[in-house]
Amino acid sequence: MTTKSEFAAALMAENRQRRIEPPTAEEMLAFTRGELPPEEAARIRERLIAYPDLVRTLTAQFPEAAEPGDPDYLSDDEFAGRWAALQKRRQRPEGGRVLQFWRAFGAIAATLIVVLGGMLWQARSELKKPHAVWQQMDLWPDGQRGPGAKSYDLTAGESYLLLPRLLNDQQFESYRVDIVDAANPSRRVRSDAVRRGETGSLVIVVGPESLKPGKYKLQVYGVNGARQEPVNTYTIRVLER
Amino acid sequence: MTNDDRFQSLYRKYYKRMVRFYTGTFRVSEEDAEELTQDAFFRFLEAMDEYRGDAEWAYLEAIARNVAYNRIRSQKTAKRGADTVNIDDRNCVPEPVAPAEPDYAQREQDAIRSKRLRDAIAELPQGSREAIQLWLNDFTYDEIARFLGITLDAVKSRLRDAKKILRARLGDSNALPEDEE
Repeated sequence: MTTKSEFAAALMAENRQRRIEPPTAEEMLAFTRGELPPEEAARIRERLIAYPDLVRTLTAQFPEAAEPGDPDYLSDDEFAGRWAALQKRRQRPEGGRVLQFWRAFGAIAATLIVVLGGMLWQARSELKKPHAVWQQMDLWPDGQRGPGAKSYDLTAGESYLLLPRLLNDQQFESYRVDIVDAANPSRRVRSDAVRRGETGSLVIVVGPESLKPGKYKLQVYGVNGARQEPVNTYTIRVLER
Repeated sequence: MTNDDRFQSLYRKYYKRMVRFYTGTFRVSEEDAEELTQDAFFRFLEAMDEYRGDAEWAYLEAIARNVAYNRIRSQKTAKRGADTVNIDDRNCVPEPVAPAEPDYAQREQDAIRSKRLRDAIAELPQGSREAIQLWLNDFTYDEIARFLGITLDAVKSRLRDAKKILRARLGDSNALPEDEE
């Protein structure tokens, strides 16, 4: 005959196999306060029963107070030692840990500031340097280049000076240029306001990291106050190096 | 009476009995029990200013139970996440093999009976299932009643029903484990 303790051990082993998770401290708190809806409380109870030791933390009879004169009542000497240990702990741990956390956090923040500051300084220095433009290209609008015209091919990883010609009689206060990835139109690079040059072209500088290999539509919009309208579109290709 | 006075009074009255509460109920060592007790009092002391009720001992009790719960839960979860060892590892020292049980057939029979009983318990109505599982883990009727939030009579009734169903399903009046009390 299997005894109760053997059987209980088998039940526990099975629960372990089923990987029943013991309730968290927060779940327990809500459970003991009766804050859970009945179905949830039942689920927590079931998970608890899988861990009898945890159930005992709730059901074990809590002792009553020992009154002075009882051997369980701490004497002055017994009290003094334990009280001192408690006071020592009170001054030390949690506060210490918080302080250490803030120290560590401060050190990380300081390191980040130094690194980011260095990167910013480097970037500003780079921007101040004169940069050679690898390719310059006059662009004619789509549909205006005649049959058999070659496509505008650029090489990836270089800087370009693009000069889109504006074949539109209407004059605008300024222009804006969007470079749209033809394969994914949501990916676009947008310029600030640009003015039309004396030659009738816009002058656009594109950095080496801006365009990955692929096909792009360069869309020029004319801007008058809050109003803007499409003017011309140019198709370009960026090829692998 | 200042907070410190009130705290010291509770500390003197409860300290030793809480140590015993931990050793007796959770089978921890005296040293661990002292640590748990200090931990509970420490938390109580930290939270005492915010406590507005009259029954401070009840608040202390809730904290003491919570401290025990967290300790046991962390041990359970730590055990589950324990490292595994490679049995081919040369540095791995195997545990000595336990001596063979004399009555293998009897053990097999017990294992089969235990499996059938577990399956039958799983099919019990929830109330009866909870009661019988607690009873198998040696909880007293009082403790079962307290945990399930039902009366003592309800506990007895659920256990009676559970045992009746189990015996009927297993077709064996001796199918239930012996009561060791």
